[in-house]
Parts: sequence; C-alpha cells; structure tokens
Amino acid sequence: MCNLPVRVICRANAEYMSPSGKVPFIHVGNQVVSELGPIVQFVKAKGHSLSDGLDEVQKAEMKAYMELVNNMLLTAELYLQWCDDVTVEEITHPRYGSPYPWPLNRILSYQKQWEVRRKMKAIGWAGKTLEQVLEDVDQCCHALSQRLGTQPYFFNKHPTELDALVFGHLFTILTTQLITDELSEKVKNYSNLTAFCRRIEQQYFEGHDKDSSAIAARSSKRPLLR
Amino acid sequence: MAAPMELSCWDGGWGLPSLHPESLTVMAYAKFSGAPVTVNSVNNSWRTLKGDLPVLVSEDVVISQPAKILNFLRKQKYNADYDLSAKQGADTLAYIALLEEKLLPALLHTFWIEAENYCSVTKPWFASRFAFPLSLYLPGKMSREALNRILLTKGGPPLYSLTEVEAQIYRDAKECLNLLSKRLGTSQFFFGDMPTTLDAFVFGFLAPIYKVCFPRVHLQEHLKQLPNLCRFCDDILTRYFRLTVSSHSPAGQDTADANLQKLTQLVNKESNLIEKIQLSLFLCRWMTAFVRVLSIPLVSSQRSNLLQEEKKAVQ
Repeated sequence: MCNLPVRVICRANAEYMSPSGKVPFIHVGNQVVSELGPIVQFVKAKGHSLSDGLDEVQKAEMKAYMELVNNMLLTAELYLQWCDDVTVEEITHPRYGSPYPWPLNRILSYQKQWEVRRKMKAIGWAGKTLEQVLEDVDQCCHALSQRLGTQPYFFNKHPTELDALVFGHLFTILTTQLITDELSEKVKNYSNLTAFCRRIEQQYFEGHDKDSSAIAARSSKRPLLR
Repeated sequence: MAAPMELSCWDGGWGLPSLHPESLTVMAYAKFSGAPVTVNSVNNSWRTLKGDLPVLVSEDVVISQPAKILNFLRKQKYNADYDLSAKQGADTLAYIALLEEKLLPALLHTFWIEAENYCSVTKPWFASRFAFPLSLYLPGKMSREALNRILLTKGGPPLYSLTEVEAQIYRDAKECLNLLSKRLGTSQFFFGDMPTTLDAFVFGFLAPIYKVCFPRVHLQEHLKQLPNLCRFCDDILTRYFRLTVSSHSPAGQDTADANLQKLTQLVNKESNLIEKIQLSLFLCRWMTAFVRVLSIPLVSSQRSNLLQEEKKAVQ
C-alpha cells in the first residue's frame, strides 16, 4: 500500500530471528524491526505513512479499531489454533512441528501450546467455549462491517494501517483450511468484508508471481476459498 | 415489569460508589438506562474469592461478567444505546477494546503492583472491608493475578524487566487518555447528550484513577491535565450518583487527603516506636528482677563466707 520494495522470505526459525520473538519482522540495512506497530512507526520515520491525511478524531478511531481487531480476532485465532483440542491435534501440532525432527516437533509445539493457554487464562478466555469465541468473532465482524459500510476502505478512498491489519486477519481466516468452516462462515456472512478482501488482493497482490498462481488456484473453485 | 434485580459488587470510597472498574461500569449503565437495580456491597462472600464480581441476580438467573450483565439488561428493555446508529455501536466496541488493551494494565499496576500504592492504600482498604481470613489472602491473590496478567500480555521480549514493562504500559495509558480526550472534545458524552454503554465503560475505568488518592500518582496527574475527562467524571457522579463533589477543588481535597494520610502514617510510626520503647523498658525491668532473684543465693553465700572469715580472724 505504501509502494515499498519488499521481498518476502519464509524461514522456519523466523520467530527466533525476530528481536521480539514474533513475526513478521523486516530487515532493512542494519536494522531489524518486528511487529506491525513498530514497523509502521519505522516506515513513518522514513517518510512513508498511510494515515497522514486523517484528523485527530479519525486517528483515535483508527487506533481503537486496530485494538478491537487485536483484542478479538487475534485472540480468537489463537484460541482456535491452540485451545480447541481437535484443531490442535489435527492441524496445529503437525504444522508447527513440521520443520523439526521427532521429538523436537512435539516438545516445541507443546511448549507453545502451554504458553498460549497461560495467556488465555490470564485474560479470561480460558473459560470460554468455542461457541462463545465464534460469537465474539461475529460481533467483531459485525462492527467492522458497519464501520466499512459501502466505502472502498475504512477511511474514505485511501487505505490506512487499519485496512492492512483487517485484510491480513480476514484473508487468513477465509483461506486457511480448518476442521470446520465455522470461522470462515462467520466472516462470509458479511459480503462487504469479503468484497473488501477481494479488492485488496486484486489491487495489491496480483503483481507477485507467487501470489497470482495462488489466486488462480483459488479462483478456479470459488474466490478466497479452498 | 421486570423482576427485582440485585447487583453485588465491591464497596466504594473516596466519593465513589465502588472502587472496582467493572462494578462501576455496571452501576453507571444501570443508572443511565433506568434499570431498577439494588446494589449490595459484598464483604464476606466466598464469591469474592473467585473474583466473580460484579454479579447480577434476578429471580433464578445469575450473571457474572459486565458484558453479559449489560446484554441481560438490554434484553429486559433497559437499553441506553437505543438512539445509537450501527456505526456508533461499532465505535463503542472499538473504544472498549482500546480501554481494555491500553488503560486497564496501567490501572491494575497503579492499584495492585506499585509497591507504595499497594502497601499504603489498596491493601489496608481491602483488608479493612473483609473479615479474617479473607483479609489476609484476598489482596495478595488479586495482586498476583494482576502481575501475571500484565507480564503475560505485555511482558514479552524485548521488554525483559518489570521497569521497562511499567514504562511501556504507562506510555500506552497516557496515549489512551489523550485519544479519549480528543474523541470526547467539548460534548457532554461520547455520543451527544445522552450517556451510553461507552460512557459507562469510560467512567468505570477513569473514575478510580481520578478519585482515589495514591502516593504515586503520575497517571492521575496526567488525567487532571485533560479537563474534559475530569468534567465528564464529575458530571456523571453528580447527576447519576447524587454524590456531591466536595466544595473544595478536587486538587485541594486530594492534598488534604494526602496530608491526612501522611499524618496517619507518622502517628502510626510514632506509636510503633513508643510501643517498642515500652517493650524494651519492660524487658529491662524483667531482666533486672531476674538477675536479682538469681543473685540472692549468691549474695547470701558470700555473706556467710565473710562472717566465717571474721570469726576466724577474731579467734
């Protein structure tokens, strides 16, 4: 969205390379910056920003919606991946441990699961059932859908950090295959959100060869579905 | 009409109906929506041990979290968000998420983790409200839970020490207060002239920071530099809780309370010192008496030896 030249590299030990232990991180010259917030500030310091045209009240709203997405969608994704037993056994453990040999794959994935469950307990999500989590996701999507309305982006005609964040989460939810489709069904209930994702995918990602072949594979069945 | 509803929550102080942010939120929403809720301050229930407060009981239904309690009240036709548009409803959710992510950690830290605040204000207040043995166990439990929550959500690398985490959470909290102030602007409530769910949540989080007198108060000082938020809290307290804001200015009242606290501490220290002196005097007397009692046989044997020597000398 900022038209910055970037090369995407996938590594199994990306979490360990990152200064904060979280992905994504960018490596620019001598500097390594991780997570969305610091990366946005770093890029802004270099003179590229998407939210310069917003007034103070709009910036406050944008930050509030970004926290909503982090609070609800991110936590729900973590819950589904690490606290729902069926998904953990069939999808998460194999996926997380795939780069490593036995027994390291099991040890590392159990360690990550323990960390995530501790965090869920601290914020009060450990007692929630899957239905309650899906209801929270629905509420969040409803709020995002209401805010987006019929506009192309969340703040008028130009994309901002909020658009990037929402796209990232919704695209992942829509395109990741899980045991059941309940989570992606919740998002698909809101047609303006799926249209929003498709629009950003076509506008910003169709230039990349890797992504365009993925898009072609997806669009051969139904858009944004596997 | 709806069945009678009873809300159990933490007790209040410093001019507030309750010190617990979630309890304050629910009480404020009940006032805004006109719900006939009777409030019970809970002191001795084992429910406090589980940390389930506030709790709403209506006939046989027991509901425990603020979001669920508010949903229940709305279903009973006590809806403070009736006039809001769909977009404003969405904004409400977003701002509540902002409060929970950015302001709540600093609030928890000020009450439960900052050592001076915890030892001189929070712990004595809670201990005085609960009977033994809850008064010994509960404050420590809540402090540990607060620390756990902050470290797990905010304390990952590159922030390795508690002081770095503290600096980060207070920065976030001050930024959140600034954002709220910009959003409120000059209007009376966040969405026009009538208070809504968002006003209840903001009041619940801001009022304890605004009113409770702590020794370490940098968040309160930052809040006092945002006059529209202070006016917002005072308005709600006077209009909906019929608690008169004191005739002194809030700053004057706070300094008076702070001075009173310091005097109390000084008096406590002096009385401790006097007790120690009295104890040591008592011990000295006791030791002296003990030594005298022990030395009586010794003295008498010495005297008898002296007498015998004198007799020999005379003979």
